[in-house]
Amino acid sequence: MTATAAAADQRSRLRSALDQAAALSLRSIRTSFRNPVSFVPGLVFPLMLAAVYSAQFQRALGLPGFPEVDSFLDFILPASILQAVAFGATAAGADMALDMENGFFDRLLTSPVSRPSILSARLAGSAVEAAIKFVIILGIFLLFGASVKSSVPGVLVILVVSVLLAMAIGGVSLVLALRTGSQEAVNASFPLVFSVLFVSSAFFPTELMEGWYQTIAENNPITWIIDPVRRLVIEGWSWSDSLSAIGLTFAFAVATISWATFALRRRLATL
Amino acid sequence: MTAITGPAHSAGVIGSLAARGMVRIIRRPSLIIPTIVMPVFFLVAFTGSFSGITNIEGYGTDNVFNWMTPYAVLQGVSFAGVGAAGMTGEDIENGFFDRLLLTPGPKLPLMLGAIGYAMIRALIPTTLVLITALVVGGADLNGGALGVLILYVGALGTAAGFACLGLLAIYRLQSMRALLAIQVPIFALTFLSIGQVPLDFQTGWLRRASELNPITPILEMLRQGFLDGVTWESTWPGLVAIAALITVFGVPAWFQLRRMAP
Amino acid sequence: MSRPVEATGLVKRFGELTAVDGIDLHVDHGEIFAFLGPNGAGKSTTVRMLVTLLQPTEGSARVAGFDVVEHAGEVRQAIGVALQDAAIDPMMTGNELLQLQSVLHGLPRSVIRRRGPELLERVGLTAAADRRVGTYSGGMRRRLDLALSLVHEPSVLFLDEPTTGLDPTSRQSLWEEVRRLNDDGTTVFLTTQYLEEADQLAGRLAIIDGGAIVREGAPGPLKAAVGSPTLRLDVAAEQRDAAHEVLGQFGPDRPCREGRVAIGLDGGSSRMADVVRALDEASIAFAHLELDAPSLDDVFADATGRRLEGALE
Repeated sequence: MTATAAAADQRSRLRSALDQAAALSLRSIRTSFRNPVSFVPGLVFPLMLAAVYSAQFQRALGLPGFPEVDSFLDFILPASILQAVAFGATAAGADMALDMENGFFDRLLTSPVSRPSILSARLAGSAVEAAIKFVIILGIFLLFGASVKSSVPGVLVILVVSVLLAMAIGGVSLVLALRTGSQEAVNASFPLVFSVLFVSSAFFPTELMEGWYQTIAENNPITWIIDPVRRLVIEGWSWSDSLSAIGLTFAFAVATISWATFALRRRLATL
Repeated sequence: MTAITGPAHSAGVIGSLAARGMVRIIRRPSLIIPTIVMPVFFLVAFTGSFSGITNIEGYGTDNVFNWMTPYAVLQGVSFAGVGAAGMTGEDIENGFFDRLLLTPGPKLPLMLGAIGYAMIRALIPTTLVLITALVVGGADLNGGALGVLILYVGALGTAAGFACLGLLAIYRLQSMRALLAIQVPIFALTFLSIGQVPLDFQTGWLRRASELNPITPILEMLRQGFLDGVTWESTWPGLVAIAALITVFGVPAWFQLRRMAP
Repeated sequence: MSRPVEATGLVKRFGELTAVDGIDLHVDHGEIFAFLGPNGAGKSTTVRMLVTLLQPTEGSARVAGFDVVEHAGEVRQAIGVALQDAAIDPMMTGNELLQLQSVLHGLPRSVIRRRGPELLERVGLTAAADRRVGTYSGGMRRRLDLALSLVHEPSVLFLDEPTTGLDPTSRQSLWEEVRRLNDDGTTVFLTTQYLEEADQLAGRLAIIDGGAIVREGAPGPLKAAVGSPTLRLDVAAEQRDAAHEVLGQFGPDRPCREGRVAIGLDGGSSRMADVVRALDEASIAFAHLELDAPSLDDVFADATGRRLEGALE
């Protein structure tokens, strides 16, 4: 094969790989939207929680040690976004497990679809879903009087963090799906994600916690992500906060996606 | 052969179905794990995250465990109640429920069996949360044995109420997806009340909701044992609220059940 | 004494869809009656109405002498039901399920203890009695389902597609069990999509299609009524029209699968020689010439213009 023909072959293979990935991504996205039973609660619950907590904890704002905020909404905005994004991301693994259970996964494997596309499609789906949820939640919060002090640049940073986090958590749920092949098992991880989110600075400042609980919360990577993001919301722009939040979630995403790729390879090797 | 129906038969049906539920848990332990883990987790998480909150005047106690324990119990019995309805959901989905419907005699025992299962199930999180609160959190039992009794009575009654809600949804929608559909009402019931903060702290729409929520008097009743001790004034509204929950959800559920087998 | 099963003008509509469109039927004491028809014909819906799990939109039915709507409770006491999907709880063992069923049916305590092992023995599941039903094979589940339906010694047994999905051996043993039950005096109402099943078991049958009964009677007379045996042969596509013309003089066309030609051969096997000669004279090449006595499939085809089972002759 001549050099130009080889290059052309490469290009067309790349194009078809992209087409495949695009088609599969579209499928992932369409599935989530056709399934309002899981999409809607993923949005509604974080919003309801935010509403309830804001109303409940008005007095807590006066506690010494509580960061300076105009309203609890500002405090909880990052947590609400992260909740919505995290729960939607576990759907990536659940959907893949469903494909594995009903045989569609095998069908994919016997087709010329490139292996990485299978994963990237799911993650792309999670990313798009996360972006959409981000916009909706932010919109509603702004409607109810929250404000983001760092304005547009800050919002963009939070968007990037959300998307990266969705891919990171999506990666973990994909690993779970590939290792167990069971939808039930993936859904069982849901409470675990919730727990990790809870034992952090998401809903209450770690400064106001005590003892061993405080230690765990302070060392929770979620706290390391939420704190800088929250500062972007309530204090204003900061390069160090932006970079640390993005850097952390990026590293997280890279780690879990690599793990997922490895898990896929292992699974295929045993077929 | 003519069946012998009557109170003994009904009692037998209720007992068998409740026992069947417990056997189910023993054979598939994964079923009970959320009911065991989540309430204890809630207890630890809420007391851990919000420990600063009892520093605010108006809680009636310094120990956040005294406040949060009944709330964690509530979470636990909501899981237990709804999970018990899941047994019925599975029966409907795999066709076994048809067999139950074809039995002679009244249909109410079929529902009561599931409720009985829910109440037995509820014992587990209630006990685990109580033990954790006492051992880990040093919660005070200011109400003594009576307080503990009220806690259990209230917990089991509320579990029955949640089971009725779950059964109503499952009888109507005829599938396990019904349990997903009631997530929002359950969230509203458990969160829009005095679970985490006293009524006086709440304002506006939240306060209104909490005042109307039957869970609020139930929580107050459960909390007595940990705060100032048991009084009749704080107990009877809770009992009425439990009766209301069971009636409001249970009666339509029963009607729906009867419609399933004319 | 009234008949075990009597239905008049049964209709069932689900919104726009009419699943059952006016069914009259009856079953006599000690009969095995079969409802034969393709998927979606309305068999299961009819059965569900007869066993009180569904209310008819119009019409009425009496089972074991009781109206299915007014006296559903009495009906349930007299019937045994094994529906299409074995109605079992996979988490329980065979023994436990039978025990539960006995309790549910209000049997006296002394009977409850005996009944389970008795029935398990009867359907050949004694060895698996203490295993969880979820581990049973399809055939074993059906047998357990049958046992469950017999717990209270019903006088009428309803079986909805009892052997669908079973391997031939399991099917045979289930047929034997049904015959044995019938010999002991149980009236059996079964639905099936397998004509061999209806042929083998039923004393009388009704063919149901599109929610209505299209033929009714005993298998023998029904088949005889169709009359002529079916002649089938393979003919090349380009010669098919010519073949039709030639064969047309020997009897009416009958439906068959692609690539074959079939007619009802008036006059029966004695005319075979004439047929072969006529085809030869017309220089029509053919293969796989078969002559089959009328089957229930032919009865169905005669009544509806279609073949009953997927694979056609």
